[in-house]
Amino acid sequence: MSRMRFIQFYSISAIILLSIVLNSCSTAGGNRYFGSTKFPKDNVLRYISGAEPESLDPQISSGQPEARIYTALYDGLVEFDPKTLQPIPSIAENWEISPGVDEFIFHLRKNARWSDGAPLTANDFVYSLRRGFAPETTSRTASLGYFVKYAEAFNGNQVFIRRGDKFITENDVAEKPADAPVPPPFGPETDFHKFLHAPARLTLDGDTLKRAQAVEPNQKLKEFFKFTAADFKNAPALAAKIKNGGDPLSQYLAANMPADALACAAAADCSDAARQAFADGLNKATDAASFFTQDWFAGLTLAEPAKKLGDVVAAENKKRADANKKIDDEIAQLTDDAKKAEKEKTKKKPLGKLFYANRFVLEQSFPDELAPVEAVPVKGEDIGVEALDDYTLRITLRQPAPFFLGLLTHQFFRPVPRQAVEKWGKEWVRPEHIVTCGSFKVKEYRPYDKLVVERDPNNWDAANVHLDGIEFYPVEEQATTLNLYKAGAVDAFLNHSVPASWIDEVRQYKDEYMNLPENATSYYSFNVRKPPFDNPKIRQAFSLSIDRVALSQFRKITKPLYHITPSGIFPDYDRAMDKVGEEIRQEKKLTPEEWDKQQKQFNPELARKFLNDNGFPVNKAGDGFECPSFPTDKVVLLFNTTESNRQIAEFIQAQWKQNLGITVPLNNMEFKTFLPFRNSLQYQGLALSLWSGDYMDPYTFLSLHYGEQNDGGAGFHDPKYDKMLDDANAELDPQKRNEKMARAEYYLIDQLPVIPLTINATNWMKKPYVKGMYPNPGTLFAWKFIYLEPDPAKWDTDVENLMNVSDPQVENQLRALKSTMTK
Amino acid sequence: MIIPMALLVITLTWALVRIAPGNFYTQEKKLPPAVEENIKKKYGLDKPWYQQYGIMMWNVVRGDFGSSLKYEGQTVNEIIWRHFPYSATIGILAYVLALLIGLTAGVIASLKQNSIFDYGSTSLAMLGLSVPNFVLGPLLVLVFSFWLYWLPPARWSLAGLVLPVVTLAAIYAAYIARLTRAGMLEVMRSDYIRTARAKGLDEKTVLLRHGLRGGIIPVVSFTGPALAALLAGTVVVEKVFAIPGLGNIFIQSVLNRDEPLVLGIVAFLSILIMVFNLLVDISYGFLDPRIRYE
Amino acid sequence: MAQEIVKGKSLWKDAWQRLLKNKLAVFGLVVIVVMTLAVIVGPWIIEKLTGYTYDLIPKDNSLVRSVPPTLKHPMGTDDAGRDILARVLQGGRISLMVGIISTLVSLVIGVSYGAIAGYVGGAVDNLMMRIVDILYSIPYILIVIVLLSVFGGPNTPEWIQKLSAAFGGENNQGLNQIFLLFFALGCVSWLTMARVVRGQILSLKNQEFVMAARATGVSVFGIIFKHLVPNALGPVIVYATLTVPSVMLTEAFLSFLGIGVQPPFASWGSLAADGIKNIQIYPWQMIFPGVTMALTLFSLNFLGDGLRDALDPQTRKF
Repeated sequence: MSRMRFIQFYSISAIILLSIVLNSCSTAGGNRYFGSTKFPKDNVLRYISGAEPESLDPQISSGQPEARIYTALYDGLVEFDPKTLQPIPSIAENWEISPGVDEFIFHLRKNARWSDGAPLTANDFVYSLRRGFAPETTSRTASLGYFVKYAEAFNGNQVFIRRGDKFITENDVAEKPADAPVPPPFGPETDFHKFLHAPARLTLDGDTLKRAQAVEPNQKLKEFFKFTAADFKNAPALAAKIKNGGDPLSQYLAANMPADALACAAAADCSDAARQAFADGLNKATDAASFFTQDWFAGLTLAEPAKKLGDVVAAENKKRADANKKIDDEIAQLTDDAKKAEKEKTKKKPLGKLFYANRFVLEQSFPDELAPVEAVPVKGEDIGVEALDDYTLRITLRQPAPFFLGLLTHQFFRPVPRQAVEKWGKEWVRPEHIVTCGSFKVKEYRPYDKLVVERDPNNWDAANVHLDGIEFYPVEEQATTLNLYKAGAVDAFLNHSVPASWIDEVRQYKDEYMNLPENATSYYSFNVRKPPFDNPKIRQAFSLSIDRVALSQFRKITKPLYHITPSGIFPDYDRAMDKVGEEIRQEKKLTPEEWDKQQKQFNPELARKFLNDNGFPVNKAGDGFECPSFPTDKVVLLFNTTESNRQIAEFIQAQWKQNLGITVPLNNMEFKTFLPFRNSLQYQGLALSLWSGDYMDPYTFLSLHYGEQNDGGAGFHDPKYDKMLDDANAELDPQKRNEKMARAEYYLIDQLPVIPLTINATNWMKKPYVKGMYPNPGTLFAWKFIYLEPDPAKWDTDVENLMNVSDPQVENQLRALKSTMTK
Repeated sequence: MIIPMALLVITLTWALVRIAPGNFYTQEKKLPPAVEENIKKKYGLDKPWYQQYGIMMWNVVRGDFGSSLKYEGQTVNEIIWRHFPYSATIGILAYVLALLIGLTAGVIASLKQNSIFDYGSTSLAMLGLSVPNFVLGPLLVLVFSFWLYWLPPARWSLAGLVLPVVTLAAIYAAYIARLTRAGMLEVMRSDYIRTARAKGLDEKTVLLRHGLRGGIIPVVSFTGPALAALLAGTVVVEKVFAIPGLGNIFIQSVLNRDEPLVLGIVAFLSILIMVFNLLVDISYGFLDPRIRYE
Repeated sequence: MAQEIVKGKSLWKDAWQRLLKNKLAVFGLVVIVVMTLAVIVGPWIIEKLTGYTYDLIPKDNSLVRSVPPTLKHPMGTDDAGRDILARVLQGGRISLMVGIISTLVSLVIGVSYGAIAGYVGGAVDNLMMRIVDILYSIPYILIVIVLLSVFGGPNTPEWIQKLSAAFGGENNQGLNQIFLLFFALGCVSWLTMARVVRGQILSLKNQEFVMAARATGVSVFGIIFKHLVPNALGPVIVYATLTVPSVMLTEAFLSFLGIGVQPPFASWGSLAADGIKNIQIYPWQMIFPGVTMALTLFSLNFLGDGLRDALDPQTRKF
């Protein structure tokens, strides 16, 4: 190639490149729709569903991408309304709710079928729930269903406690026994229902040691485990064994009880009173010291369970001793006395005397002489689900739960096919074995490439399923997702997939861009157990110095969040919040302006004051601030890596820098490193949480900080708050319940275990010809409502808010479905 | 040799997976402790570590990696053999393309050192090296899918192969061109080439029969691990083009802490690498008569 | 007769002169030097001149958006309104450091390891190469995850803390992770180099000059490092310059997975990776970091080629 030709080559390439650029200019802009919009050849929806589904078993995994697939493959008792997500009839035609909102009777339709043609009956639901809660299923969503009576006990391998023929009830050991009368039975009375309807039995841990640990501090409960005269199967034999046994245990027992009791019991003609004295003596001896820490079992051949318990105790004690030794070593290296004392506190004492554990050994050692306190495992047959007949199902809850019906739309409660599960084991989800019961059934499954489902002709509502099928594509990259949509290769894609920088561009296409408030929030939790954020004032300072309006503008689609529950999702609750807020304002005698300012928390001045007052003086420096005494080397802002998490963190870091002069270091982590770090409160400072509501009720957000082990991520626990929520849930009047919950929320806001940041928003797109698919607060779809509209005249045009647009086809379908509710 | 080494690799990887924080069941919503215990019991995670290691090794030795923990009901072997063909197709096509371009460019550049050809081909090669594939991929998509409307932007299909193959080939072609150029320069001045020339062999024979054989030794060294890595899939390209290849699945399995799947793919990958390196070592002897193994 | 003193040109001086004659290599050298200087002093100058830093998000909320290049922001701003020029300069520090450290590691460890294996041969060679294979087979992501979780956060070794303090981060945790990352990348970057060098040594070690050296009683060490390695320098340099881009890309990929640089820090790779997503709407977010990175790598490769040619004892053309 000569130099001339070389130049030619380059100029030709340049011309080609230039023409490409020009070409791009001529095609960009002026389009009514985003990218290529061609009506698809087949009546099949192509949908990007996000991460590859873990399993097609609806009861195992907890992911959102899976949830959307499950709703296509499995019908539940109820389905959600495509717009409001409220429960509508599905396999259950209608239902009755007990006055106490703790029992539900469902009347199932008679034409419900599995995809293999087998009828779907109430027994299938009973089977599915028992399977879902079975410990060996290891469902990761089972805890959602713990409201079902005894479900938690079954799932957690717990046991009932029986003495003789009487089971101990919760009331027996409660501090203040409830004296409320048992309400009349709801629905037909059966033997099983009598059991369910009786006062709740006490359940304890299935593990003997844990059970013993639970019994020890609770005096009232401990009483039930004490020996009584009735426990003796053969008192003389026992007394004789103790008296004559040369082994250390017998010697110890003999030495620690009144000699006359022992002597009398050994005699054949012992009085009841003397036997009781013997029992008391046994109790005293058993309660005096741990059997496990001394070498008392030397001459004994212990029964297997007792031996095992001994091993477990020994192992646990060794573990604690080792840990303490390590702490000792660390203390030896410290010089600071205060730190030494702090470390000293982290030591664990060895397991002390455990009455029940001792008793257990005696029970096992003298099986013919002593009757045990029986631990009866809770079985699947015990949980509060009952098939009254093939088409009637009754579910009994452990507590009133007004939101339970909404929870039933969740994948965990959708039935799984007994015929396939029992035949194929865990392989039943393979495409060649799977049996489903939804509007669609599996046609082709190529993992990481696509899952194709087709309309199931066996489905009870097949006539009203509009699509011939759906293709789910597992694509995770946002840019790739958007590219596929732009190229017209897919018709819709999953939520949260338009990158923030694209939003301004994409939101011009109103008919396609779905952006409405979501049943989800973002917040930063403080580790409230470690300084400096163990101080609520410091927490407030950090919250007050964030301009949430600016944050939302920056994020473009989210809305500022000032509370725990997102506003705009639960209208009734919003009204309750306003009302209660007004009450609190009057109680505190604040003017509306003051109140408003306090609620819309952006007040850097006050924030700096709080810091000043609590030992971290903030000084003016140049046109900014500085707070040199704040331990920035001790705190981090922790989050898992996604583009949006990072951008929010960077923004908030800048806000604190500007308003407080504090630069909190950022620490991003890979998801699975992050989760244990946050959940076990190893972090110091703040950590990000995103929470999507599990059901359409404010409780799904408020319960985040409920109880000692909660999902809030802050390590916050306040019995007063728990009590307020319990009271609210016991309230049957929805209005009053909302107000009680609102009270609890205001109480929580004062404690501020978290910094509320944003009410999230749906952020996805669909082509204008896709109808019946709504940006509802959970972005969950009842797929049978969705159809493809071939007539461009009927496509979505100039839609401001799709949720307000009435679609006659969807309305009619909904009306027809709901009509059975009043039957 | 390969088998014990693979076992060693598996052992080390197993240890790393165990040290890494988090579990396959770690999720946003905390699991109740009882459920966590159930899971541990079900998957044998409650046993002492040496027992777990023993069980794992015993299964691995028998070639059974078990089922994926994340994707319940799918065996590891099945997943590997299902997704390997995807990455292998793209990998082989890309490497062949890279060899064609790279060798040609490298040889020309070395023969006409410091000429316009040298600069031109070197510059092009360097462009391939300097543009990361996560940039090149989307750029190609922009041009060929959204400006020219020639090719689909992503997903597995015949036409969809073109962009990922070109994206992958670019960087490898650049590597090969640079290594070939350097290697050829080295060899073409060595004594045996001079001898060959002196014998009066024509330049073409000297170049192709003698020069190239020695000159591509660096390329061959590079090919072993490179081809193995390519066959096992390349995460970025698979992600950008949504291709169900092994590379992405491997990364996901690590991020998911899906232990059996990680171990299975690592074993597969290590055997692949070792086999290729063995082939490379053998081919040295054929390519360069000076290399002798004592 | 007075003895004529023949001044031998030293190898390095000679090479340097030859390098200077290679225009592309000089161009590469200049770019690298300028770039290095720019990333060292650049962020400081920018801050003095305009007040922008890599992590400065404007107070004025209307500016918190991506602005195209203007006089104030010659490279435009990113989504959060941060000056891309400042970010590119700061990112250069990290990217160049990643490149330099990994290349040094691969030169020091990789070259000696490969040379020894190749020269000694036999069982030793076999063993050494199998170790490389094993290390190569272990997924480096796993290594990085474990490294960061074991040595990250509060458990960071003291020497890393000191190192990052020396680089002047008031809040060290982000820097700590970056240094850990350097370390992790260094650990895996020498493997291919070792293989390349070994291959070269194998083909060189039976040549006459080696035999001659052996015959004259040069020590094994001397043969390897005085005779064999200099002769294998060409491919070594070429491969070293190839290591830099691959390490930078690996770093960008790790950042993408959340185990790379800590925000608000960035690297060229992560900037380009972020920018490419917006290429269709905010092209400047990709173009400037991308071009900077490409230009640097481009120059580095030219320089590498030039060095190779210059150090080649048989090239006497210039």
